[in-house]
This record gives sequence, C-alpha cells and structure tokens, in this order.
Amino acid sequence: MIPACPLASLPRGEAIRLDVDPPIAVFHTEDGEFFAIDDTCTHQDASLADGWLEGCEVECPLHASRFDLRTGEVDAPPAKRPVRTHQVVVEDDVVYVVPSEAPPNLPPGVALKGQA
Amino acid sequence: MTATTTSSVIPTLPGRYYTDPELFAREQKDIFESMWFCVVRSADLAKPGAFKTVRVGTESVLVTRSRDGSVRAFFNVCRHRGAQLCTEESGEVKRAFQCPYHAWTYDLDGRLVAAPNLTKMADLDREQYGLVKVHVREWLGYVWVCLADEPPSFERDVQGAVAERLGAVELIDNYAVDRLAVGRRIVYDVKANWKLIVENFMECYHCATIHPELTEVLPEFADGYAAQYFVGHGAEFGEEIQGFTVDGSPGLDRIPTLSEEQDRRYYAITIRPQVFINLVPDHVILHRMFPLAVDRTIVECDWLYLPEVVASGKDIDKSVELFHRVNQQDFDACERCQPTMSSRIYRDGGVLVPSEHHIGGFHEWVVDRIG
Repeated sequence: MIPACPLASLPRGEAIRLDVDPPIAVFHTEDGEFFAIDDTCTHQDASLADGWLEGCEVECPLHASRFDLRTGEVDAPPAKRPVRTHQVVVEDDVVYVVPSEAPPNLPPGVALKGQA
Repeated sequence: MTATTTSSVIPTLPGRYYTDPELFAREQKDIFESMWFCVVRSADLAKPGAFKTVRVGTESVLVTRSRDGSVRAFFNVCRHRGAQLCTEESGEVKRAFQCPYHAWTYDLDGRLVAAPNLTKMADLDREQYGLVKVHVREWLGYVWVCLADEPPSFERDVQGAVAERLGAVELIDNYAVDRLAVGRRIVYDVKANWKLIVENFMECYHCATIHPELTEVLPEFADGYAAQYFVGHGAEFGEEIQGFTVDGSPGLDRIPTLSEEQDRRYYAITIRPQVFINLVPDHVILHRMFPLAVDRTIVECDWLYLPEVVASGKDIDKSVELFHRVNQQDFDACERCQPTMSSRIYRDGGVLVPSEHHIGGFHEWVVDRIG
C-alpha cells in the first residue's frame, strides 16, 4: 500500500499524480468517490491527472479519449487499450493506493524504468 | 502694428501617409499595438470558453472568458513552436485551447495544462510557458485590450476622449451603453487608409453633399460644422423630425436615464485610434475599426438599443438604415480618396478649411506618435 496524500489535500473534483513507476493518478470525484488508474494515456504520453474529470470518467487532455475510472476502459480512439485500475484505501485521513499487479498498457515510447 | 494675414486653409498630411506601407508599419507598432484598442462586445463572450480572435496591429489576439467570468486576452501564438493557436474568428471551447500542431493545451487562464511528454519535462514551468497575456479593460460593454508592456492610462486616453468631447465623462453614463443590447451589427470592408475614415468622421463639411438623409434629421449639419468641432454640443434634431431614423419617423424607446438636454440631440465622439461613438436618444452607434493594411480597414458597427427593444423584436430597420446609409456614403468617399493619395498632385497633401481645422490636431498627433 502506497501513501498518496493527506485526505485534505485532495478536494473533490481534483486529481494528483503519484510519481511511481509507472505513475498513478488518484481522483476524488465530485460525488466524493476515490479512484486510481495509471496516469499515462495508452495512446500517447499524457498525464490523465491533468485531464478533465467528469463524473466517473477522465478525458485525456490531449486527444479526448475518455477512461472509465471504475474499469479503466476507454470509450473511443485514439486510445484503444484500457488503463489499469488500482484500489484506493482511505485510512486515518490519508489516501493510500494498492497498486495493481497486472502488466500496464503504456503508450509507445514509454517503458517501465527498470526496462528502459 | 502690422496686420498679419492668416490663411483660411491649413495643410493636410502628405499623400504618402495614406499609401506608404512603412509608415503604416510604424502606425501598427506605435499606435495600434501601443494604445488601448476596442476589440469585442462583452456580451459576445457570453460564457466561459467563448472566444474571438481579432487583429490588433500586426498581432492576432485571442479574447475569451475565463471560468470565473472575467475576460482574458492573449497573444494567439502557441508558446511551443509559434503556431497560431485559434484560427477561427469566433467560437467556443469547452475548457481549453489546444494547438492543432503538437497539442500543447492551455486552460482558459492561459496556463499550460497539458502537452505530450510534459511530465517528463518537470523543469518546464507551466506558467512561464502559458499563453502571453494582453492587458484587458471592460468599459461601455466592450473589451479593450492593450498590447504594450506598460499600458497607457485608460482613464486619460479612452475615458478622457469622451470627457473632452462631451464636457464630462459622466455624461455618457446616462446612455447606459454597457446595458444596451446589439440590435444590428454591420461589418464594412473599406478599401481605404484608416486615417481617411477618422478624418471623415471628424468633419461635417461633406454632410450636406453626401448625407442628404442625415442633414434632413440634423439641419445644422448643413453649415459644415460637425458636432465634434465643439465641446458638449449635441446637434439638434430638426423641428419636424420625430426620431433619428432614415425618414425622420419616430425612433425606438428612449433611453430613460438621459437628461433633458440630451433628448433630441446627436453627439459624436472619436476615441483614438479606432473607435467612433454616436449618441442619440434611443440608441448608441459604436464603430470599431480594424486597420489591416495601409489601404484596407475593416469597420464593425454596432447599433445598440434598450434590451427590451431588441427582445421585443420591434422593427429597427428605419433606425439602422439612417446611419448605415451614412456609413456607406462615408466609406464610398474614403474609397474615392484612397487611389488618388498616390497622385503626384497630392504629394504634399491638400488643405483643411476652417470647419475642418480640428483635423489638424489629429494629424499632429499621428506624426507625433510615429516620430
């Protein structure tokens, strides 16, 4: 379990990017739910934490593919593959992420640091 | 004591001031890109993300409304490789401006919010590489921008021009210009130097000749002295005239906050370098000029009425037609002058008659600005 941030520093409607490998985006939706997905769009190296959060979806800020925060699925090209989802735990006013064990779907040119 | 003879005429600018692209380039830099420049009706940016692109001097400027409702203006240039960011004249973005070249993406406050590989460039400051801001003011329901690093005083240059003509800046408040609604907008593409248009607007020596309808409504214009020759003088409607319309028929609902003195009168104001305002009891006509080349100027003219007049769908045709005709008559005259500005006969210019002498002040101002 990775500590992400104090609960107070992630208001509703906001996201933060965890500089882990690969980076993870944690979202606090307007409805008060927490979600974590891989931060990097599967189409091109763009940070989804910088994207546009609407309901349980985030739109990539570069080419507007939308990812479902609950499943990681993408709605329409140019991104074609889903992002991984990660479990979020809030405990004692701290937000934690339990990273997925699945292999990530990274865009061309982006590799895990160990494999770069 | 010897009697001195003063000539009734004084010289105009030499012809090259209307034809020389180098002089125009200096005007772009030292006038249009240095002064307050009226660009957009505020109501045309109805909500966050609505935008317009406008030409100010040599620059394209992007004017938009931010999430907090305030108006912002930026140089319309991507900070990455310099592509023009927005190519449309107007439109609406949902939440960001994205360069169509490499997808650098800016929010409505101009901040760089996304770009390919941006997270790998942690040293790239998102504020520093945000869109470059242009100074903005809102007045009379219009957005005014200034491209200078240090803008001149808006109060002195813009509001001061109104005060100088009306006698006091507060007198324009009676017209509630910011609360009026655009009843009609006509855009004129005039093949003439912008100064010919300013000079034409400033004098009325031509009125009795080319503006029969206007002179019918404002009979005193037949003496050749424009309202702009005086301070605080409104030209009075003719006795038989019921409204500021093409045939003198009644106009629309009078702006209720006018003073008695402002009723049945016409006032005209030039705000250098590119705005003309006409005030009449039931509407306001505001011209914005966009000089594009030494011999080409776009003029956008708004006819502004009480919002309830516009909302009711009342017929404003006769009201608009009067000054639309005046505009056409004036711009035809300016276009008639433009080709002959390069005649060798006009190399040293022409002359201003006494009712035009105040235009000499405009000429001195231009020469002073461009050095």
